Amino acid sequence: MTRAFALLNDKRVRDVVYQAALLLGLVALTVFFVRNASENMVKAGIASGFDFLWRNSGIDVPFVLTGYTRSSTVLDLFWAGVANTMLVTVVAMVLATALGFLVGIARLSSHWLLSTVAGAYIEFVRNIPLLFFVLFWYFGVIAALPAPRDSVSLFGVAFLNNRGLTIPLPEAPVTFRWAVAAILLSWIAQALVAAWARRRKERTGQDAPVLAIGLGLVVVLPALAVTWASLATGWDVPVLRGFNYRGGFVVIPEFVALLAALVTYTAGFIAEIVRGGIQAVPRGQTEAAAALGLRPGRILRLVTIPQALRVMIPPLTNQYLNVLKNSSFGAAIAYPDVVSLFMGSALNNTGQAIEIIAMTLAVYLVIGLAVSAFMNWYNARIALVTR
Amino acid sequence: MSAASTSLWRQRLFGTPATAVVTLLLAAAIAWLAIPMIRWALVDASWRGTTRADCVTGGACWVFVKARFGQFMYGLYPQDQRWRADLAGLLFALATAAVVFAPPRLRLKAAIAALIVLPPLGIWLLAGGFGLRWIETREWGGLMLTLFISVYASLIAIPLGILLALGRQSQLKVVRLVSVLFIEFWRGVPIIAVIFLASLLLPLILPGGVGIDRLARAVIGLGLVIAAYMAEAVRGGLQALPPGQREAATALGLTYWKATGLIILPQALRISLPAMTNEFIALVKNTTLVLVVSILDLLGIAQASLADPAWVGMNMEAYVFSGSIYWLICFALSRWSRHLEMLGRRQHR
Repeated sequence: MTRAFALLNDKRVRDVVYQAALLLGLVALTVFFVRNASENMVKAGIASGFDFLWRNSGIDVPFVLTGYTRSSTVLDLFWAGVANTMLVTVVAMVLATALGFLVGIARLSSHWLLSTVAGAYIEFVRNIPLLFFVLFWYFGVIAALPAPRDSVSLFGVAFLNNRGLTIPLPEAPVTFRWAVAAILLSWIAQALVAAWARRRKERTGQDAPVLAIGLGLVVVLPALAVTWASLATGWDVPVLRGFNYRGGFVVIPEFVALLAALVTYTAGFIAEIVRGGIQAVPRGQTEAAAALGLRPGRILRLVTIPQALRVMIPPLTNQYLNVLKNSSFGAAIAYPDVVSLFMGSALNNTGQAIEIIAMTLAVYLVIGLAVSAFMNWYNARIALVTR
Repeated sequence: MSAASTSLWRQRLFGTPATAVVTLLLAAAIAWLAIPMIRWALVDASWRGTTRADCVTGGACWVFVKARFGQFMYGLYPQDQRWRADLAGLLFALATAAVVFAPPRLRLKAAIAALIVLPPLGIWLLAGGFGLRWIETREWGGLMLTLFISVYASLIAIPLGILLALGRQSQLKVVRLVSVLFIEFWRGVPIIAVIFLASLLLPLILPGGVGIDRLARAVIGLGLVIAAYMAEAVRGGLQALPPGQREAATALGLTYWKATGLIILPQALRISLPAMTNEFIALVKNTTLVLVVSILDLLGIAQASLADPAWVGMNMEAYVFSGSIYWLICFALSRWSRHLEMLGRRQHR
């Protein structure tokens, strides 16, 4: 006995004992949970395993991007949900970043009224629950929009009403695939040109006309491609027939409400990140750049923004991950995302709680890891190089 | 207004042509948005009466909020028992004030005493038993439930979060790995999925026959997620402490737990307090998600009240009222967090 106690006084032995105890405890807890779960499932007559994924789902989904129909499998239902989650997440990330940068820069403006309005906006959205905004946009704003017959017309081609947003759809989507390919190609070309110009500048000190080439590749070429594509194909423009619009593509009100809520809410947080990032750049940097004779626009582009970005990337990553996770708030208004389709409808139909919950959580963990891996790569790329 | 300040304002708002244009555009936008809102909410609003028929002025119908005020605050909690909820809230408020304003020497003891006595006392007051009438959690609701969930989820989250933060900094590899996995898992998944998970899985993994209240499930689920976020807030404080603090404590012969409890945590928690307050604000906002498992907190009651046929079309009133309460709570908390931050910065200098 005394020898055992003496051993416990040895730090290394003690560390091993503690860690072994922790592991044992966790294993015991897991075994306890798993045994209860399997007993309870036997009692309730629920099978385990992933066979249910290949069964016919029989669930109608009001908003599908994939080829899903109600006779598809449960696995197809899962992918339809993932696609809807991704769609609202990506669109919300882009729009929230744009709005957040605008509000953040306005907050720093020397114009008193502008910065006050931006500040009021930030304080307003940050202190109210996101779910409140989701319900408010859905039941307060979209539901209060006029019926299809009195739709708000957007340039005569898109129509906003209480059944959602009806937009025109190209009759030949293949043409658009070519346009998208052209846009991607020109962006890749732009990246290559920029890299070449940077290397040449480092070697010879000569400026290449990067701005003109970049403008051509990033803006003009894609614009031409899209214009060509939209002229080359016919358009299925929505037309009012009786009580509703026929033709076109209906963006369901749940999507519009969820997107509006995510964008307005997240923009408040991004605005604060932008403000913090810009304020973190020491004033001396701006003053030194001005003393060197740089104009304000170039100071912002060459001195302030690059340094502010370094401060902004980590919290911005957090916000992007939040948008991904918060897209699940759509479940509260039955936007068919992965949570409401899979954890809701599919779970109700099949009762396979453990498998379905594990798959749904895995979606968020995997996409989340991918987003943070990309942002970490970007962060490393723009990080301060100390030689 | 003096001439000097008038000219300063003119300079600020109309100094250059560009400034003047921005001012005019913003003023027009504000007038376009704010004037109808103020007319609706105040000028044209109906305040007196008891039924829908009393709302005739065309603006907001605050009669609706007045008529349903009890539900917004307490949900379906029996009217003659609402003093119990008030008393519980009062006790919690008094205890918090006592801890905050206690002399520093007694503060820790006061906090520990409050933490031992209050949580069971609060549940007894709200749920009943031992002489009080039993009230099912199904009948709880409104602002009372929002505050209940926030407080009890933090009672799980704060101690667990501190342990996880210490675990993440630990020298022991297994402890560190377990803490990191726990924290990253809960931080990586949506809270709404966790609430579903808790309400579906908890009854499944507990021994058959052990019933678990659905409100308790939601509180446990939220508590686990917030613990992971709290852990990261506390980690910030731990990382801000110079390593010399622990080394000195160890050199004086203090054990790990003594050094942690007496030297490390008091300092680290003071630094993390603003960040922890921000997590608490996030928790208050996220309590609204219990709505998806049909637990009716303040937002849930507001949402449910829209279905009342006697008060059709009161969406705006319900949202403006409940939204203002959330805003006031969160704004007050965020101001307090900023105040703590300033205080910390001044003490550091």
